[in-house]
Amino acid sequence: MVHETIAATNAVVTLDVALPGIVWGWIITMNMWAKSIGTGIIFLGFFLLKKYPEQTGFIRFPIAAISIVFIHIFLFFTVIDLHQMFRFWHIFFYPHLTSAITIGAWMATGFVGLLFGMAYAIYMKKDEALYDKLLGWTVLLAVPVTLYTAGLMAQSTARELWQMPTESAQMILAALLAGTSAMILLGGNKFSDTIKKDLAIILGLAAAAAFILYMAELIFGPMKAEEVAAVLHYIKGGEYTVMFWIGQAMAFIVPMILVCLSLKNQSYYLLKIAAVSALVGLWVSKHVWLVIPQLLPMS
Amino acid sequence: MQLGFLVDLRLCMGCKGCEIACKVENEVPLSTWRLRVKYVDVGTFPETKRTFTPLRCNHCANAPCERICPVSALHYIENGIVNIDKERCIGCAGCVMACPYGAIYIDPQTQTADKCTYCAHRVASAMMPSCVVACPVEANIFGDLDDPMSNISKYIQSHQGNVQVRKPEKGTDPHHFYVGGGNVTLNPLASFRGEGHNLFNNLKHLPIGGH
Ligand code: SF4
Ligand code: SF4
Repeated sequence: MVHETIAATNAVVTLDVALPGIVWGWIITMNMWAKSIGTGIIFLGFFLLKKYPEQTGFIRFPIAAISIVFIHIFLFFTVIDLHQMFRFWHIFFYPHLTSAITIGAWMATGFVGLLFGMAYAIYMKKDEALYDKLLGWTVLLAVPVTLYTAGLMAQSTARELWQMPTESAQMILAALLAGTSAMILLGGNKFSDTIKKDLAIILGLAAAAAFILYMAELIFGPMKAEEVAAVLHYIKGGEYTVMFWIGQAMAFIVPMILVCLSLKNQSYYLLKIAAVSALVGLWVSKHVWLVIPQLLPMS
Repeated sequence: MQLGFLVDLRLCMGCKGCEIACKVENEVPLSTWRLRVKYVDVGTFPETKRTFTPLRCNHCANAPCERICPVSALHYIENGIVNIDKERCIGCAGCVMACPYGAIYIDPQTQTADKCTYCAHRVASAMMPSCVVACPVEANIFGDLDDPMSNISKYIQSHQGNVQVRKPEKGTDPHHFYVGGGNVTLNPLASFRGEGHNLFNNLKHLPIGGH
Protein backbone atom coordinates (compact mmCIF):
# COMPACT_ATOMS: atom_id res chain seq x y z
CA MET A 1 0.00 0.00 0.00
CA VAL A 2 2.80 2.40 0.82
CA HIS A 3 3.78 2.83 -2.81
CA GLU A 4 0.31 4.32 -3.33
CA THR A 5 0.70 7.04 -0.73
CA ILE A 6 1.90 10.60 -1.20
CA ALA A 7 5.60 10.53 -0.45
CA ALA A 8 5.68 13.61 1.77
CA THR A 9 3.00 12.40 4.15
CA ASN A 10 2.80 8.65 3.57
CA ALA A 11 -0.90 9.03 4.10
CA VAL A 12 -3.68 7.08 2.44
CA VAL A 13 -7.43 7.42 2.81
CA THR A 14 -8.58 4.00 3.95
CA LEU A 15 -12.21 4.65 4.76
CA ASP A 16 -14.45 7.27 3.31
CA VAL A 17 -17.68 7.43 1.39
CA ALA A 18 -18.03 7.92 -2.32
CA LEU A 19 -17.52 11.49 -3.41
CA PRO A 20 -19.76 12.93 -6.10
CA GLY A 21 -17.92 12.52 -9.38
CA ILE A 22 -18.57 14.85 -12.28
CA VAL A 23 -21.65 16.85 -11.34
CA TRP A 24 -21.67 19.25 -14.28
CA GLY A 25 -21.09 17.02 -17.30
CA TRP A 26 -21.50 17.25 -21.07
CA ILE A 27 -24.85 19.03 -20.75
CA ILE A 28 -23.08 22.07 -19.32
CA THR A 29 -20.47 21.80 -22.09
CA MET A 30 -23.31 21.94 -24.64
CA ASN A 31 -24.74 24.89 -22.79
CA MET A 32 -21.47 26.87 -22.96
CA TRP A 33 -20.76 25.85 -26.54
CA ALA A 34 -24.19 26.78 -27.88
CA LYS A 35 -24.14 30.08 -26.01
CA SER A 36 -20.78 30.95 -27.59
CA ILE A 37 -22.33 30.57 -31.04
CA GLY A 38 -25.55 32.34 -30.06
CA THR A 39 -23.83 35.48 -28.75
CA GLY A 40 -20.74 35.29 -30.99
CA ILE A 41 -22.76 35.51 -34.18
CA ILE A 42 -24.35 38.70 -32.85
CA PHE A 43 -20.94 40.28 -32.18
CA LEU A 44 -19.75 39.37 -35.66
CA GLY A 45 -23.01 40.41 -37.32
CA PHE A 46 -22.81 43.82 -35.65
CA PHE A 47 -19.20 44.25 -36.75
CA LEU A 48 -19.91 43.33 -40.39
CA LEU A 49 -23.12 45.38 -40.63
CA LYS A 50 -21.30 48.42 -39.29
CA LYS A 51 -18.18 48.04 -41.40
CA TYR A 52 -19.71 46.76 -44.62
CA PRO A 53 -23.36 47.89 -44.58
CA GLU A 54 -23.76 47.67 -48.37
CA GLN A 55 -22.46 44.15 -48.81
CA THR A 56 -23.78 42.39 -45.74
CA GLY A 57 -27.45 43.34 -45.57
CA PHE A 58 -28.43 39.77 -46.40
CA ILE A 59 -27.10 38.48 -43.06
CA ARG A 60 -29.65 40.40 -40.99
CA PHE A 61 -32.28 37.70 -40.79
CA PRO A 62 -29.89 34.70 -40.70
CA ILE A 63 -27.90 36.03 -37.73
CA ALA A 64 -31.10 36.65 -35.74
CA ALA A 65 -32.35 33.14 -36.66
CA ILE A 66 -29.03 31.41 -35.84
CA SER A 67 -28.75 33.24 -32.55
CA ILE A 68 -32.33 32.33 -31.62
CA VAL A 69 -31.69 28.65 -32.39
CA PHE A 70 -28.42 28.44 -30.44
CA ILE A 71 -29.61 30.49 -27.48
CA HIS A 72 -32.54 28.11 -27.21
CA ILE A 73 -30.20 25.14 -27.34
CA PHE A 74 -28.31 26.82 -24.50
CA LEU A 75 -31.50 27.43 -22.52
CA PHE A 76 -32.77 23.91 -23.18
CA PHE A 77 -29.58 22.30 -21.90
CA THR A 78 -29.49 24.67 -18.93
CA VAL A 79 -32.98 23.73 -17.86
CA ILE A 80 -32.69 19.98 -18.41
CA ASP A 81 -29.55 19.93 -16.28
CA LEU A 82 -31.55 21.05 -13.25
CA HIS A 83 -32.56 18.24 -10.92
CA GLN A 84 -35.85 20.06 -10.39
CA MET A 85 -36.35 21.51 -13.83
CA PHE A 86 -40.05 22.32 -13.38
CA ARG A 87 -39.09 24.76 -10.65
CA PHE A 88 -37.06 26.85 -13.07
CA TRP A 89 -39.44 29.76 -12.55
CA HIS A 90 -38.19 30.08 -8.94
CA ILE A 91 -35.24 32.02 -10.39
CA PHE A 92 -37.64 34.79 -11.38
CA PHE A 93 -39.94 34.69 -8.36
CA TYR A 94 -37.48 33.95 -5.52
CA PRO A 95 -34.36 35.55 -6.98
CA HIS A 96 -31.13 35.79 -5.06
CA LEU A 97 -29.27 38.68 -6.58
CA THR A 98 -25.78 37.64 -5.49
CA SER A 99 -25.97 34.62 -7.78
CA ALA A 100 -24.53 34.74 -11.28
CA ILE A 101 -27.15 32.13 -12.21
CA THR A 102 -29.98 34.55 -11.41
CA ILE A 103 -28.38 37.49 -13.19
CA GLY A 104 -27.55 35.26 -16.17
CA ALA A 105 -31.11 33.97 -16.42
CA TRP A 106 -32.51 37.49 -16.40
CA MET A 107 -30.00 38.74 -18.97
CA ALA A 108 -30.63 35.75 -21.22
CA THR A 109 -34.37 36.38 -21.06
CA GLY A 110 -33.89 40.00 -22.14
CA PHE A 111 -31.50 38.84 -24.87
CA VAL A 112 -34.04 36.35 -26.25
CA GLY A 113 -36.72 39.06 -26.23
CA LEU A 114 -34.49 41.37 -28.28
CA LEU A 115 -33.62 38.58 -30.71
CA PHE A 116 -37.28 37.94 -31.40
CA GLY A 117 -37.73 41.69 -31.83
CA MET A 118 -34.93 41.71 -34.41
CA ALA A 119 -36.41 38.76 -36.27
CA TYR A 120 -39.83 40.44 -36.26
CA ALA A 121 -38.38 43.76 -37.46
CA ILE A 122 -36.59 42.25 -40.42
CA TYR A 123 -38.88 39.37 -41.39
CA MET A 124 -42.35 40.74 -40.74
CA LYS A 125 -41.88 44.51 -40.87
CA LYS A 126 -38.88 44.61 -43.24
CA ASP A 127 -37.66 47.54 -41.16
CA GLU A 128 -33.86 47.64 -41.30
CA ALA A 129 -33.57 50.78 -39.18
CA LEU A 130 -35.55 49.20 -36.33
CA TYR A 131 -33.52 46.00 -36.70
CA ASP A 132 -30.24 47.91 -36.45
CA LYS A 133 -31.44 49.81 -33.41
CA LEU A 134 -32.43 46.57 -31.67
CA LEU A 135 -29.14 44.99 -32.71
CA GLY A 136 -27.25 47.70 -30.81
CA TRP A 137 -29.05 46.79 -27.58
CA THR A 138 -28.66 43.08 -28.31
CA VAL A 139 -24.88 43.46 -28.62
CA LEU A 140 -24.81 45.28 -25.28
CA LEU A 141 -26.71 42.45 -23.60
CA ALA A 142 -24.67 39.79 -25.41
CA VAL A 143 -21.63 40.84 -23.38
CA PRO A 144 -23.04 39.95 -19.92
CA VAL A 145 -24.83 36.91 -21.35
CA THR A 146 -21.46 35.68 -22.60
CA LEU A 147 -19.70 36.54 -19.36
CA TYR A 148 -22.15 35.32 -16.76
CA THR A 149 -20.93 31.70 -17.05
CA ALA A 150 -17.47 32.96 -16.14
CA GLY A 151 -19.06 34.67 -13.13
CA LEU A 152 -20.80 31.46 -12.17
CA MET A 153 -17.55 29.53 -12.43
CA ALA A 154 -15.74 32.16 -10.40
CA GLN A 155 -18.40 31.74 -7.71
CA SER A 156 -17.69 28.01 -7.76
CA THR A 157 -15.07 28.62 -5.10
CA ALA A 158 -14.18 24.97 -4.78
CA ARG A 159 -12.73 24.84 -8.30
CA GLU A 160 -9.45 26.75 -8.41
CA LEU A 161 -9.10 26.39 -12.15
CA TRP A 162 -12.22 28.42 -12.95
CA GLN A 163 -11.05 31.86 -11.99
CA MET A 164 -11.78 35.39 -13.03
CA PRO A 165 -10.48 37.13 -15.04
CA THR A 166 -9.08 34.25 -17.10
CA GLU A 167 -12.48 32.62 -17.52
CA SER A 168 -14.15 35.84 -18.63
CA ALA A 169 -11.46 36.36 -21.28
CA GLN A 170 -11.87 32.73 -22.38
CA MET A 171 -15.66 33.15 -22.66
CA ILE A 172 -15.36 36.25 -24.85
CA LEU A 173 -12.70 34.60 -27.01
CA ALA A 174 -14.86 31.48 -27.34
CA ALA A 175 -17.76 33.67 -28.49
CA LEU A 176 -15.54 35.40 -31.06
CA LEU A 177 -14.13 32.09 -32.27
CA ALA A 178 -17.54 30.43 -32.52
CA GLY A 179 -19.27 33.52 -33.93
CA THR A 180 -16.63 33.98 -36.64
CA SER A 181 -16.73 30.29 -37.53
CA ALA A 182 -20.50 30.35 -37.78
CA MET A 183 -20.33 33.50 -39.92
CA ILE A 184 -17.77 31.91 -42.25
CA LEU A 185 -20.04 28.89 -42.73
CA LEU A 186 -23.15 31.07 -43.04
CA GLY A 187 -21.72 33.47 -45.63
CA GLY A 188 -21.03 30.83 -48.25
CA ASN A 189 -19.19 32.54 -51.04
CA LYS A 190 -21.34 35.62 -50.85
CA PHE A 191 -18.80 37.65 -48.91
CA SER A 192 -16.19 39.77 -50.71
CA ASP A 193 -12.50 38.93 -50.38
CA THR A 194 -12.04 41.83 -47.98
CA ILE A 195 -14.73 40.51 -45.65
CA LYS A 196 -13.32 36.99 -45.85
CA LYS A 197 -9.92 38.38 -44.94
CA ASP A 198 -11.38 40.19 -41.93
CA LEU A 199 -13.13 37.01 -40.79
CA ALA A 200 -9.93 35.00 -41.23
CA ILE A 201 -7.95 37.49 -39.16
CA ILE A 202 -10.54 37.56 -36.35
CA LEU A 203 -10.68 33.76 -36.28
CA GLY A 204 -6.88 33.46 -36.22
CA LEU A 205 -6.44 36.08 -33.51
CA ALA A 206 -9.21 34.68 -31.29
CA ALA A 207 -7.71 31.19 -31.63
CA ALA A 208 -4.21 32.47 -30.84
CA ALA A 209 -5.34 34.46 -27.79
CA ALA A 210 -7.40 31.58 -26.37
CA PHE A 211 -4.53 29.15 -26.93
CA ILE A 212 -2.07 31.48 -25.18
CA LEU A 213 -4.42 31.72 -22.19
CA TYR A 214 -4.79 27.93 -21.92
CA MET A 215 -1.03 27.45 -22.17
CA ALA A 216 -0.39 30.18 -19.61
CA GLU A 217 -2.75 28.45 -17.16
CA LEU A 218 -1.18 25.09 -17.90
CA ILE A 219 2.39 26.28 -17.35
CA PHE A 220 2.02 28.97 -14.69
CA GLY A 221 -1.19 27.84 -12.97
CA PRO A 222 0.54 25.40 -10.59
CA MET A 223 2.47 28.31 -9.11
CA LYS A 224 -0.81 29.75 -7.86
CA ALA A 225 -2.07 26.89 -5.74
CA GLU A 226 -1.57 23.26 -4.86
CA GLU A 227 -5.13 22.59 -6.04
CA VAL A 228 -4.45 23.98 -9.50
CA ALA A 229 -1.40 21.75 -9.78
CA ALA A 230 -3.46 18.73 -8.74
CA VAL A 231 -6.18 19.54 -11.30
CA LEU A 232 -3.70 20.00 -14.10
CA HIS A 233 -2.31 16.53 -13.41
CA TYR A 234 -5.36 15.18 -15.22
CA ILE A 235 -4.13 16.77 -18.45
CA LYS A 236 -0.42 16.42 -17.81
CA GLY A 237 -0.13 12.74 -18.46
CA GLY A 238 -3.46 11.86 -16.84
CA GLU A 239 -6.73 10.47 -18.09
CA TYR A 240 -7.73 13.68 -19.95
CA THR A 241 -4.40 14.39 -21.67
CA VAL A 242 -5.37 13.10 -25.11
CA MET A 243 -8.74 14.78 -25.07
CA PHE A 244 -7.18 18.05 -23.94
CA TRP A 245 -4.67 18.12 -26.77
CA ILE A 246 -7.25 17.05 -29.36
CA GLY A 247 -9.34 20.00 -28.20
CA GLN A 248 -6.42 22.43 -28.29
CA ALA A 249 -5.35 21.24 -31.74
CA MET A 250 -8.80 21.37 -33.30
CA ALA A 251 -10.00 24.56 -31.65
CA PHE A 252 -6.89 26.67 -31.90
CA ILE A 253 -3.79 25.19 -33.55
CA VAL A 254 -5.41 23.87 -36.75
CA PRO A 255 -7.50 27.02 -37.27
CA MET A 256 -4.41 29.21 -36.78
CA ILE A 257 -2.49 27.24 -39.41
CA LEU A 258 -5.40 27.09 -41.84
CA VAL A 259 -6.08 30.81 -41.46
CA CYS A 260 -2.47 31.56 -42.39
CA LEU A 261 -2.68 29.23 -45.39
CA SER A 262 -6.03 30.59 -46.51
CA LEU A 263 -4.76 34.17 -46.34
CA LYS A 264 -1.68 33.18 -48.32
CA ASN A 265 -3.58 31.22 -50.96
CA GLN A 266 -6.77 33.28 -50.82
CA SER A 267 -8.64 30.02 -50.25
CA TYR A 268 -12.08 30.32 -48.70
CA TYR A 269 -12.31 26.55 -48.71
CA LEU A 270 -9.47 26.28 -46.15
CA LEU A 271 -11.18 28.91 -44.06
CA LYS A 272 -14.33 26.82 -43.94
CA ILE A 273 -12.36 23.79 -42.74
CA ALA A 274 -10.77 26.02 -40.10
CA ALA A 275 -14.25 27.12 -39.00
CA VAL A 276 -15.54 23.54 -38.65
CA SER A 277 -12.39 22.50 -36.79
CA ALA A 278 -12.72 25.46 -34.41
CA LEU A 279 -16.35 24.69 -33.62
CA VAL A 280 -15.69 21.00 -32.91
CA GLY A 281 -12.49 21.71 -31.00
CA LEU A 282 -14.16 24.35 -28.87
CA TRP A 283 -16.64 21.78 -27.57
CA VAL A 284 -13.83 19.40 -26.64
CA SER A 285 -11.66 22.08 -25.03
CA LYS A 286 -14.53 23.44 -22.98
CA HIS A 287 -15.49 19.94 -21.88
CA VAL A 288 -12.06 19.00 -20.57
CA TRP A 289 -11.68 22.30 -18.72
CA LEU A 290 -15.16 21.90 -17.23
CA VAL A 291 -14.64 18.35 -16.02
CA ILE A 292 -11.13 18.23 -14.57
CA PRO A 293 -11.63 20.52 -11.55
CA GLN A 294 -14.57 18.37 -10.53
CA LEU A 295 -12.31 15.34 -10.11
CA LEU A 296 -10.43 16.83 -7.15
CA PRO A 297 -11.23 15.36 -3.75
CA MET A 298 -12.77 18.11 -1.64
CA SER A 299 -12.44 16.58 1.79
CA MET B 1 -25.88 34.37 18.68
CA GLN B 2 -23.39 32.62 16.45
CA LEU B 3 -23.48 28.87 16.73
CA GLY B 4 -20.34 26.91 16.05
CA PHE B 5 -18.91 23.44 16.24
CA LEU B 6 -15.63 22.07 17.43
CA VAL B 7 -14.25 18.54 17.15
CA ASP B 8 -11.37 17.48 19.33
CA LEU B 9 -9.61 15.06 17.00
CA ARG B 10 -7.43 13.80 19.84
CA LEU B 11 -10.54 12.32 21.44
CA CYS B 12 -12.30 10.98 18.32
CA MET B 13 -11.91 7.20 18.10
CA GLY B 14 -13.61 6.72 14.74
CA CYS B 15 -16.66 4.90 16.08
CA LYS B 16 -18.93 6.59 13.52
CA GLY B 17 -21.69 6.93 16.08
CA CYS B 18 -22.17 10.55 14.94
CA GLU B 19 -22.59 9.42 11.33
CA ILE B 20 -25.34 7.00 12.22
CA ALA B 21 -27.08 9.39 14.59
CA CYS B 22 -27.12 12.02 11.83
CA LYS B 23 -28.47 9.53 9.29
CA VAL B 24 -31.29 8.49 11.56
CA GLU B 25 -32.15 11.97 12.79
CA ASN B 26 -32.25 13.54 9.35
CA GLU B 27 -33.41 10.53 7.31
CA VAL B 28 -30.37 10.85 5.08
CA PRO B 29 -30.84 8.43 2.15
CA LEU B 30 -28.55 5.50 1.47
CA SER B 31 -25.33 6.38 -0.37
CA THR B 32 -25.43 10.00 0.79
CA TRP B 33 -24.07 11.64 3.92
CA ARG B 34 -24.47 14.91 5.79
CA LEU B 35 -21.68 13.93 8.13
CA ARG B 36 -19.00 11.37 7.71
CA VAL B 37 -15.82 10.26 9.42
CA LYS B 38 -12.83 9.95 7.12
CA TYR B 39 -10.05 7.53 8.05
CA VAL B 40 -6.53 8.29 6.94
CA ASP B 41 -3.63 5.94 7.64
CA VAL B 42 -0.23 7.54 8.03
CA GLY B 43 3.28 6.09 8.06
CA THR B 44 5.00 2.91 6.99
CA PHE B 45 4.40 -0.44 8.62
CA PRO B 46 5.05 -1.08 11.48
CA GLU B 47 5.24 2.65 12.28
CA THR B 48 1.67 3.48 11.33
CA LYS B 49 -1.09 5.59 12.78
CA ARG B 50 -4.76 5.94 11.93
CA THR B 51 -6.49 9.33 12.08
CA PHE B 52 -10.23 10.06 12.14
CA THR B 53 -11.79 13.28 10.88
CA PRO B 54 -15.52 13.96 11.14
CA LEU B 55 -16.49 16.13 8.18
CA ARG B 56 -19.66 18.20 7.92
CA CYS B 57 -20.81 21.59 6.70
CA ASN B 58 -18.77 24.36 8.33
CA HIS B 59 -21.60 26.91 8.40
CA CYS B 60 -19.27 29.49 6.90
CA ALA B 61 -19.86 33.14 7.75
CA ASN B 62 -18.89 33.96 4.15
CA ALA B 63 -20.52 30.96 2.51
CA PRO B 64 -19.97 30.52 -1.22
CA CYS B 65 -22.90 28.08 -1.34
CA GLU B 66 -25.28 30.76 -0.06
CA ARG B 67 -23.90 33.31 -2.51
CA ILE B 68 -24.25 31.12 -5.60
CA CYS B 69 -27.74 29.77 -4.87
CA PRO B 70 -30.05 31.46 -7.40
CA VAL B 71 -33.24 31.02 -5.40
CA SER B 72 -32.10 31.62 -1.79
CA ALA B 73 -32.70 27.98 -0.97
CA LEU B 74 -29.49 28.19 1.05
CA HIS B 75 -29.87 30.97 3.58
CA TYR B 76 -28.65 32.13 6.97
CA ILE B 77 -30.80 31.94 10.05
CA GLU B 78 -30.33 34.33 12.97
CA ASN B 79 -28.21 31.92 15.00
CA GLY B 80 -25.64 31.73 12.16
CA ILE B 81 -26.71 28.36 10.79
CA VAL B 82 -26.61 28.03 7.00
CA ASN B 83 -29.93 26.35 6.41
CA ILE B 84 -31.57 24.92 3.33
CA ASP B 85 -35.12 25.26 2.07
CA LYS B 86 -35.63 22.14 -0.03
CA GLU B 87 -38.93 23.42 -1.40
CA ARG B 88 -37.12 26.29 -3.12
CA CYS B 89 -34.13 24.37 -4.46
CA ILE B 90 -34.08 23.90 -8.23
CA GLY B 91 -31.23 21.37 -8.11
CA CYS B 92 -28.79 23.39 -10.21
CA ALA B 93 -25.86 22.00 -8.16
CA GLY B 94 -24.19 25.40 -8.08
CA CYS B 95 -23.75 24.98 -4.34
CA VAL B 96 -22.06 21.60 -4.85
CA MET B 97 -19.56 23.39 -7.11
CA ALA B 98 -19.14 26.29 -4.72
CA CYS B 99 -18.59 24.52 -1.39
CA PRO B 100 -14.83 23.99 -1.03
CA TYR B 101 -15.44 21.24 1.53
CA GLY B 102 -17.61 18.85 -0.48
CA ALA B 103 -20.28 19.26 2.19
CA ILE B 104 -23.31 19.33 -0.14
CA TYR B 105 -24.89 16.49 -2.06
CA ILE B 106 -27.95 16.15 -4.25
CA ASP B 107 -30.51 14.05 -2.38
CA PRO B 108 -31.42 11.16 -4.73
CA GLN B 109 -34.98 11.04 -3.39
CA THR B 110 -35.97 14.69 -3.50
CA GLN B 111 -33.52 15.71 -6.24
CA THR B 112 -32.61 18.77 -4.21
CA ALA B 113 -29.44 19.86 -2.45
CA ASP B 114 -28.92 18.76 1.13
CA LYS B 115 -26.26 19.12 3.81
CA CYS B 116 -25.66 19.32 7.56
CA THR B 117 -27.84 21.97 9.17
CA TYR B 118 -26.34 21.62 12.68
CA CYS B 119 -29.73 19.95 13.31
CA ALA B 120 -31.43 23.37 13.12
CA HIS B 121 -34.78 21.78 13.99
CA ARG B 122 -33.39 20.33 17.22
CA VAL B 123 -31.53 23.53 18.09
CA ALA B 124 -34.82 25.44 17.70
CA SER B 125 -36.17 23.26 20.53
CA ALA B 126 -33.09 23.88 22.69
CA MET B 127 -31.67 20.43 21.98
CA MET B 128 -28.15 19.57 20.91
CA PRO B 129 -27.45 18.27 17.38
CA SER B 130 -27.87 14.50 17.29
CA CYS B 131 -24.17 13.85 16.55
CA VAL B 132 -23.20 15.72 19.72
CA VAL B 133 -25.54 13.59 21.79
CA ALA B 134 -24.30 10.35 20.22
CA CYS B 135 -20.57 10.93 20.68
CA PRO B 136 -19.36 8.57 23.46
CA VAL B 137 -16.20 10.55 24.19
CA GLU B 138 -17.60 14.08 23.93
CA ALA B 139 -15.33 14.93 21.04
CA ASN B 140 -18.10 17.10 19.54
CA ILE B 141 -18.58 20.46 21.23
CA PHE B 142 -21.39 22.70 20.06
CA GLY B 143 -22.47 26.13 21.23
CA ASP B 144 -22.57 29.89 20.95
CA LEU B 145 -19.30 31.41 19.78
CA ASP B 146 -20.51 34.88 20.79
CA ASP B 147 -20.90 33.80 24.41
CA PRO B 148 -17.49 33.72 26.14
CA MET B 149 -18.91 31.46 28.82
CA SER B 150 -20.17 28.74 26.43
CA ASN B 151 -18.37 25.41 26.38
CA ILE B 152 -17.11 25.92 22.85
CA SER B 153 -15.72 29.41 23.60
CA LYS B 154 -13.95 28.12 26.69
CA TYR B 155 -12.56 25.17 24.72
CA ILE B 156 -11.22 27.49 22.03
CA GLN B 157 -9.70 29.76 24.69
CA SER B 158 -7.95 26.92 26.45
CA HIS B 159 -6.55 25.39 23.26
CA GLN B 160 -5.14 28.53 21.67
CA GLY B 161 -2.60 27.64 18.98
CA ASN B 162 -4.09 24.21 18.40
CA VAL B 163 -7.43 25.28 16.90
CA GLN B 164 -7.78 25.01 13.13
CA VAL B 165 -10.37 25.31 10.39
CA ARG B 166 -10.38 23.56 7.03
CA LYS B 167 -8.97 25.48 4.03
CA PRO B 168 -8.65 28.91 5.68
CA GLU B 169 -7.17 30.23 2.42
CA LYS B 170 -10.60 30.03 0.79
CA GLY B 171 -11.78 32.94 2.91
CA THR B 172 -15.06 31.28 3.82
CA ASP B 173 -14.73 31.98 7.56
CA PRO B 174 -15.90 28.57 8.79
CA HIS B 175 -17.73 28.21 12.10
CA HIS B 176 -16.47 24.71 12.57
CA PHE B 177 -13.17 24.12 14.32
CA TYR B 178 -10.82 21.24 14.94
CA VAL B 179 -8.45 20.76 17.81
CA GLY B 180 -5.47 18.49 17.24
CA GLY B 181 -5.86 18.44 13.44
CA GLY B 182 -3.05 18.48 10.92
CA ASN B 183 -2.27 18.59 7.26
CA VAL B 184 -3.17 14.95 6.74
CA THR B 185 -6.53 15.20 8.47
CA LEU B 186 -7.64 18.56 7.11
CA ASN B 187 -6.05 18.84 3.65
CA PRO B 188 -7.50 16.40 1.10
CA LEU B 189 -4.45 16.80 -1.13
CA ALA B 190 -2.13 15.50 1.58
CA SER B 191 -3.35 11.92 1.32
CA PHE B 192 -3.76 9.39 -1.44
CA ARG B 193 -7.23 8.23 -2.41
CA GLY B 194 -7.74 4.85 -3.99
CA GLU B 195 -9.50 4.38 -7.27
CA GLY B 196 -13.15 5.40 -7.26
CA HIS B 197 -12.92 6.99 -3.79
CA ASN B 198 -15.14 4.20 -2.53
CA LEU B 199 -16.24 3.18 0.92
CA PHE B 200 -13.57 0.52 1.37
CA ASN B 201 -11.19 1.54 -1.31
CA ASN B 202 -8.79 -1.30 -0.77
CA LEU B 203 -11.41 -3.99 -1.47
CA LYS B 204 -10.89 -5.89 -4.68
CA HIS B 205 -13.57 -7.91 -6.43
CA LEU B 206 -12.82 -11.61 -6.64
CA PRO B 207 -12.42 -12.86 -10.20
CA ILE B 208 -15.54 -14.59 -11.47
CA GLY B 209 -15.33 -18.37 -11.07
CA GLY B 210 -12.16 -18.47 -8.99
CA HIS B 211 -10.58 -17.56 -5.67
S1 SF4 C 1 -19.11 24.27 4.41
FE1 SF4 C 1 -19.85 24.35 2.31
S2 SF4 C 1 -22.02 23.97 2.48
FE2 SF4 C 1 -21.34 24.54 4.52
S3 SF4 C 1 -21.66 26.78 4.64
FE3 SF4 C 1 -19.53 26.45 3.98
S4 SF4 C 1 -19.65 26.53 1.74
FE4 SF4 C 1 -21.75 26.20 2.48
S1 SF4 D 1 -28.82 23.08 -5.98
FE1 SF4 D 1 -30.48 24.06 -4.84
S2 SF4 D 1 -29.52 24.83 -3.00
FE2 SF4 D 1 -27.88 24.39 -4.44
S3 SF4 D 1 -27.49 26.34 -5.48
FE3 SF4 D 1 -28.95 25.21 -6.75
S4 SF4 D 1 -30.94 25.90 -6.07
FE4 SF4 D 1 -29.50 26.52 -4.47
